[in-house]
Amino acid sequence: MSLIKVDNVSKTYQGGEGAVHALKNINLEVTQGQFLALLGPSGSGKSTLLSILGALNPPTQGQVLIDDISVYGLDEERRSDFRHEYIGFVFQQYQLIPYLTALENVMLPLAITKYSDKEQREMAQRVLEKVGLGQKSMRLPNQLSGGEQNRVAIARAIVNEPVLLFADEPTGSLDSKTAKEILELFQALNRDGQTIIMVTHNLENLAYVSHSVQIRDGIIVKSPEPVVGGAV
Amino acid sequence: MKILDISLGNLKRRKLRSFLLLLSIIIGVSSSVFLFTTTRSMEQDVADKIDQFGSNLLILPKAGETLSFGGVTVGTSFGKELDISMIPLMKTIKNNETLATISPKLLAEATIQDKKVLLVGVQFADELRLKKWWKIDGLEAGQLPVANEILIGSEVARILKLSPQQLVQIKGQEFRVGGIIQPTGSIENDQAIFMDLTILQKAENKPTAINLIEAAVLCYTCPIEDVTIQLSEKLPEAKVTALQSTLESRDDTVQQFSLFATIISVILLITSGFVVAMSMISAVKERTRDIGVLRAIGFRKKHILCMFLYEVSLVSVLGGLIGFGLGMGLAMNFGSSLAQMTVQVPFQPILVLYSILAALGISLIASIYPAWKATKLDPVEALRYF
Repeated sequence: MSLIKVDNVSKTYQGGEGAVHALKNINLEVTQGQFLALLGPSGSGKSTLLSILGALNPPTQGQVLIDDISVYGLDEERRSDFRHEYIGFVFQQYQLIPYLTALENVMLPLAITKYSDKEQREMAQRVLEKVGLGQKSMRLPNQLSGGEQNRVAIARAIVNEPVLLFADEPTGSLDSKTAKEILELFQALNRDGQTIIMVTHNLENLAYVSHSVQIRDGIIVKSPEPVVGGAV
Repeated sequence: MKILDISLGNLKRRKLRSFLLLLSIIIGVSSSVFLFTTTRSMEQDVADKIDQFGSNLLILPKAGETLSFGGVTVGTSFGKELDISMIPLMKTIKNNETLATISPKLLAEATIQDKKVLLVGVQFADELRLKKWWKIDGLEAGQLPVANEILIGSEVARILKLSPQQLVQIKGQEFRVGGIIQPTGSIENDQAIFMDLTILQKAENKPTAINLIEAAVLCYTCPIEDVTIQLSEKLPEAKVTALQSTLESRDDTVQQFSLFATIISVILLITSGFVVAMSMISAVKERTRDIGVLRAIGFRKKHILCMFLYEVSLVSVLGGLIGFGLGMGLAMNFGSSLAQMTVQVPFQPILVLYSILAALGISLIASIYPAWKATKLDPVEALRYF
């Protein structure tokens, strides 16, 4: 059964030079436990698709069902709640809050929950240890390397145990060794049952995913297929 | 971690911006507190000075034949007179501290050079304190006439052709003209001869009699109506009248002071509000990406709104408190000397509450628009913002 069902989704932006069709009639299904790569060159529409799947960006046409919930049938505030409950994001450039420590950054999604401060700290510390940063939890983002910041971003994305983990070019600015470590971390999370969708333009990353979809000019040119030698 | 902790974290991180924001609130609140407390004291000072500048209370016998004095009909009936013993009695009223000057008067007629003139027996020290605007030829400033000297109204001096130091016979006694009161524009001053009360009482063979009492009541803190009632109770045989025209003129002046102080305070607070608004607009712009992240991980619009409002509230409460302390301290220590007034600015603890509320109110009003703009940010756009 599909965890995500994308049904005939299109996205058109109104730009200064007329309409830009970022996505055209996208149909996609993702099942529980997949580690899916959205592959495509820069400007292909893969990040737009991720933002639509992430309940951040309403499509111009079509619908997105996650866990049988029509995401864009929800009003804006309910969609915020949905994101909080269902989705964890790892953004490009990690997007950590610079004045909060690693631990506090990881605690952010818990700040709007009923958990006590102590419980939040314990949960965040546990996740930081899981990503290998237990010893650096009190450091500010600027005291961490790029790879470490990426791990904090991953910890923040999974601290409230979302159903889906979305990552937008998570290795884009890392050296190959650190990128490998991060992809292995994603792989480990996926092995634990986490469904992951990752946007990437790097074909080498396919070695770590279970399925891939290729997008070009807003169209899926290669439907989801298992990656030979990939995860799962 | 709660949203408040995020706000605190941001304040700590952006120390300079937080400090400048705090400073603008402190300046706004302290200036307003200083201005408000000082001008309130100035109002009192001005009110007291105006109250002392002429009488605002008149005490007359309840009935009797009349002569006009001060535009007021005064009793001259020998059967209906007041007694000098009323003066100490007046000082026993509850609000006796408001009785700045009490000037008893005895009125009598006399004939000088075949012309009838009005004699007014006064206690010169009190009378001259009450009539500070008098300009007296022949008398130095601050100098009081001695017992056998008289002060003559300008009109009487003109008609009788009298000049300072001249001797004049009144009721069989010889008096020296101690001074001539320059024209005041009021008949009762220009057409009367002022002499020592005791001497006139003796001459009239009424050793304790007076016809009226003029008083200057400092009625800034105590309504003159209260003093009138208290005096009426103490002096049942007298009619106590507050001179409304004097009071209204005083009230007009005091109200102008209040209005001026209020306008300046409001301008200062609004200016602080603009600084807060500018600071918040810049904070929202600076943190566009953070807002995008928070919205993406599930923060509702109200969470973002709260985050900004908590931030400004924390600074406002602190700014209000420090601003109050600074403004009050300055007003208490330097207000009187700066405003050249005799009244000391008192400590007014209730203003702590008003200071905090004003700082909070102005800052929240100023922040609502930027904070609302923050909630309207599209998370996708915000995440693209660098």
